[in-house]
Amino acid sequence: MTQASGTQPVAASSSSGSGTAGLYDILELILDRGLVIDVFIRVSIVGIELIKIDIRIVIASVDTYLRFAEACNRLDLEAGRKAPARLTDIVGDMVESGARGTTGGAISGAVDGAVDAIGDLFGGDDEEEKKR
Amino acid sequence: MSDVPTNPSPAEQAASEPAPDSPLYIYAITGSDHPLRLDGLRTVGGIGGSLSAVVRGGLAAVVSPAPPELRPKRRDLTAHQELQERLMADGAVLPMRFGMLAPDSATVGRALEEKSEEYTRRLAELHGTTEFNLKAARAQDDLLREVLSESEEARRLNQLTRDGNGTHEDRVALGELLARQVDARQRLMAEQVVQQLSSLARARVEGAPAKDDFLNVSFLVARAQAHEFTEAGQRLARDFGEGYDFRLRGPLPPYSFAA
Repeated sequence: MTQASGTQPVAASSSSGSGTAGLYDILELILDRGLVIDVFIRVSIVGIELIKIDIRIVIASVDTYLRFAEACNRLDLEAGRKAPARLTDIVGDMVESGARGTTGGAISGAVDGAVDAIGDLFGGDDEEEKKR
Repeated sequence: MSDVPTNPSPAEQAASEPAPDSPLYIYAITGSDHPLRLDGLRTVGGIGGSLSAVVRGGLAAVVSPAPPELRPKRRDLTAHQELQERLMADGAVLPMRFGMLAPDSATVGRALEEKSEEYTRRLAELHGTTEFNLKAARAQDDLLREVLSESEEARRLNQLTRDGNGTHEDRVALGELLARQVDARQRLMAEQVVQQLSSLARARVEGAPAKDDFLNVSFLVARAQAHEFTEAGQRLARDFGEGYDFRLRGPLPPYSFAA
């Protein structure tokens, strides 16, 4: 029962290197899905909670409302879509399929922030490797 | 082991059994007819130790000595992921969630025996399939502009509260209206996207979208249709156009469909 092929045919880049962004997009699959076997221990993993913070906030709160109102007040209504179209520069990930559009500033900024946070979480790899 | 069959399976030939009484990290379950090409792969926990397999009946569990400390570091998550990719290239695989440990190989063997039927059935169901995960976001400013252009009340409240004017109540009212509208529009977009891709998928699992995303969905897709699926995803991203951010990842190990 061999399957036809590996990851090559579809992925834009199937090299084994994994950019933080590419890994970030599937982090929750690796950490939160996958098979669990009751009799095994799942180690409590430092940092998983950090990732979950990123889940979309419940919308119904006065704080959220005020943030929405402020964002709306700030809009330059005449300008329309003013943000320059730019291709997001996250490329070369192990499993990226390249279906990326473009975004305006607000969301890109937020996503970048999240990736930074994860970067912090992953931090120390190199140092520890040197220590060993 | 008393239950070793007379003809060793490919899995047994490919990978040695682990030391009997040391704790193990478990990566995945495959059929014992899987070739388990494990050479050159890194282990979770890094340097030292090697990958091996616990084989029972028609099943094999890929394991390595458990690292003394386990944290979801990029290196370890990547090792876990790369092993799944290697395995899925040669056959069906049930990827474990990151971080599963067993006290010894006998426990792993018993776990395989206890749910042998279930795992065998899942492997058969997942044979020839792969997972795609799609996350999508839309620029918030675009969404807000859309709401403003379609809601007179939103325009009125926005006018009233601009430049620090208006009452706290006005601002909350504006925000609440926007939040509701944004939420409704995001749900609608999510439905449209899922609907457009579902015909090419055998199953799907929707997850909670992360902040700013309006969609986080995994599809189980036949390997033979993986290319077609990717093209459909790219087409969809093009059709939605500027101001949207679609991140399609795959082919992936079937994390969302293994349980």
